[in-house]
Amino acid sequence: MNFGYMNKWLKINLTTREIKDFTIPEETLRKYLGGKGIAVYFLWKHGKKLEEKGIDLKELDALSPENMLIFATGPATGTKSPNSGRHHVMALKSPFTGSIGSGNTGGKWGAKLKFTGYDGVIITGKSEKQVYLSIIDGKAELHDAEKIWGKNSVETSEWLRNEHNQSKAGVSCIGPGGENLVPMAVIMNEEHRAAGRTGLGAVMGSKNFKAIIVEGNEKPKIAKPEEFEAKVKEHVEKLKENGVTGQGLPTYGTAVLVNIVNQSGLFPTNNWQKGVDPDAEKISGETLTEKYLIGKNPCWGCVVACGRKTKVDSGKYKIDYTEGPEYESIWALGATTGINDMGAVIKANDNCDIYGIDPISTGSTIAAAMELYEKGKIPDEDIKGLDLKFGNADAVVELSRMTAFREGLGYWIGEGSKKLCEHYGAPDLSMQVKGLEMPAYDPRGAKGIGLNYATANRGGCHVTGYTIAAEILGDVDRFTTEGKAGLTITFQDFTCIVNSAVNCLFLTFALGLDEYAEIIGPVTGWDVTAEELLKTGERITNLERMIINKFGITGKDDTLPKRLLEEKMPEGPSEGQTVDLETMKQEYYKLRGWVDGIPTAEKIKELGLD
Amino acid sequence: MKLYVKVFASLRQKYPDINDFNPLIIDIEKGTKIIDIIELLDFTTDEVHLILLNGIKASIDTSIEGDESILSLFPPIGGG
Ligand code: SF4
Repeated sequence: MNFGYMNKWLKINLTTREIKDFTIPEETLRKYLGGKGIAVYFLWKHGKKLEEKGIDLKELDALSPENMLIFATGPATGTKSPNSGRHHVMALKSPFTGSIGSGNTGGKWGAKLKFTGYDGVIITGKSEKQVYLSIIDGKAELHDAEKIWGKNSVETSEWLRNEHNQSKAGVSCIGPGGENLVPMAVIMNEEHRAAGRTGLGAVMGSKNFKAIIVEGNEKPKIAKPEEFEAKVKEHVEKLKENGVTGQGLPTYGTAVLVNIVNQSGLFPTNNWQKGVDPDAEKISGETLTEKYLIGKNPCWGCVVACGRKTKVDSGKYKIDYTEGPEYESIWALGATTGINDMGAVIKANDNCDIYGIDPISTGSTIAAAMELYEKGKIPDEDIKGLDLKFGNADAVVELSRMTAFREGLGYWIGEGSKKLCEHYGAPDLSMQVKGLEMPAYDPRGAKGIGLNYATANRGGCHVTGYTIAAEILGDVDRFTTEGKAGLTITFQDFTCIVNSAVNCLFLTFALGLDEYAEIIGPVTGWDVTAEELLKTGERITNLERMIINKFGITGKDDTLPKRLLEEKMPEGPSEGQTVDLETMKQEYYKLRGWVDGIPTAEKIKELGLD
Repeated sequence: MKLYVKVFASLRQKYPDINDFNPLIIDIEKGTKIIDIIELLDFTTDEVHLILLNGIKASIDTSIEGDESILSLFPPIGGG
């Protein structure tokens, strides 16, 4: 038995309806830890098997039964260590980007899965009929999902909890977005938490797989309980004392970033044409707190509580209860589309949640459509009465619904900005990397995050290596390219540990790798050090890279949109800046032991991946 | 010369009406240090964690040289 783990994984082939349990040897667990790490390991092995069957992974259709979907927890998940209710979801291939599918999510589902007695669930194949899975008190069963097909994420969760008489159960599900195979569909859990990026919901939908409900009473066993409890106490103290985790996030949520990023001139506005939004104050964390907040909704075991319960009192966007929006969603559905009406942003974000689509990619692709329209690239007959001018809140709210149902222009929004802009003959207006829309920091104002966007395996994403913590919220010079390769690598590899532990990335504002070792050690009984963990993180990054190399993704894809490389930031505190990516990238490859975006044989051997 | 001061997040508990649209406007001498403004506003250096002068990170010892500069003050904040 391995401490910290439930020592049981579930594997389901939906084609054959075969359900089986299996265990993972200690050696593999120590090498990949759990969560994202273990998922990447299984995806690599699955890819190899497909290749042996003669399938070229470059050609693999992400919506085919051959794709694999994994829900994974780690040794920290569901323990008393802070903020450990989270889990990681991965797919071999993303239907949205063609790179790997990956998303981390909060709520309680991860902890509850462990309480059922399982560490993770692997799904392959495709069910003939629409089904969902229940794992309750250790028993896994497939059920007919006909009655809930078509229901949104809130209705689905309620129905399942009622049906199984489990009012506190965790529910992961798809909404209409996933059912309709919208490439940017998400998997929602606990109604308003999402494995939000790379179209994991469409993978689930393609398998005719609606939901997983989890509940149970088992608990992970801790190897050294006394040492563990003492460290937990210490860490909770540190989190309470830290200004960010003890005060900033609990009071204002992640939206507190709106003003600082805008004041620093890197808040992408009107599809990244500018870095300052003159109306940002209206969609700031301060405004959200003052006018829309009705309470907090922490994830399971969380001592920070950044989660927001909100409402819109009156007007056409009236909502009695919703959650969020997060900083990134506010930006995507607000600033980059030129919207300054917080009510509209909340409504559009709620649409994304209940219908199950990615708010970052939705907002960002609507912004691209708005710029296409501004430049006369979208003919009027294609927008059928929608007013696509920047700042038109109604269009954003309406499109956030239409996208999930593939209606009208919503079809193209769901395809993402890359395909949209190619379709209308202006590919340079699409602000994405490897097909994934970048989030709310213009790297012309913080160079390290540009390198992270360019090199992140899943595409344009901030949470793979959040250098903003150092460049905007910390002391590192944001404009220099010097030292950014090393900084990005450390952030990326450390984040792999967070996503494999699995707990919350926001812990890292107060806790470093040493603290992660202080938790993983006593939980598992292993004598782990910060160095070992960082090496594990590096191993996970590299194996994930080896997978995307199989899809034909290499150095040419580690890039940024032309606008960021060539167009100078027109105004504000980051005025005149572009991103000198090549210099950082070459240093990054050198430090990584990669050539043209591909790990060398020596590196692969060094990490034990050969 | 004129200085525009903006305060954010929990620093607004003391100045609820000061925001991006409505900065505090004060007259200062050229070369005034940021620490002097922080003290003038009755904040401690522990409360003010991030300082931007015209959008660029500054420290409590930075002196303010330009007329109509914008000083943005933040407590510890983070997110993602
Ligand atoms: S800090 Fe926020 S995202 Fe992290 S566990 Fe707590 S509520 Fe969830």
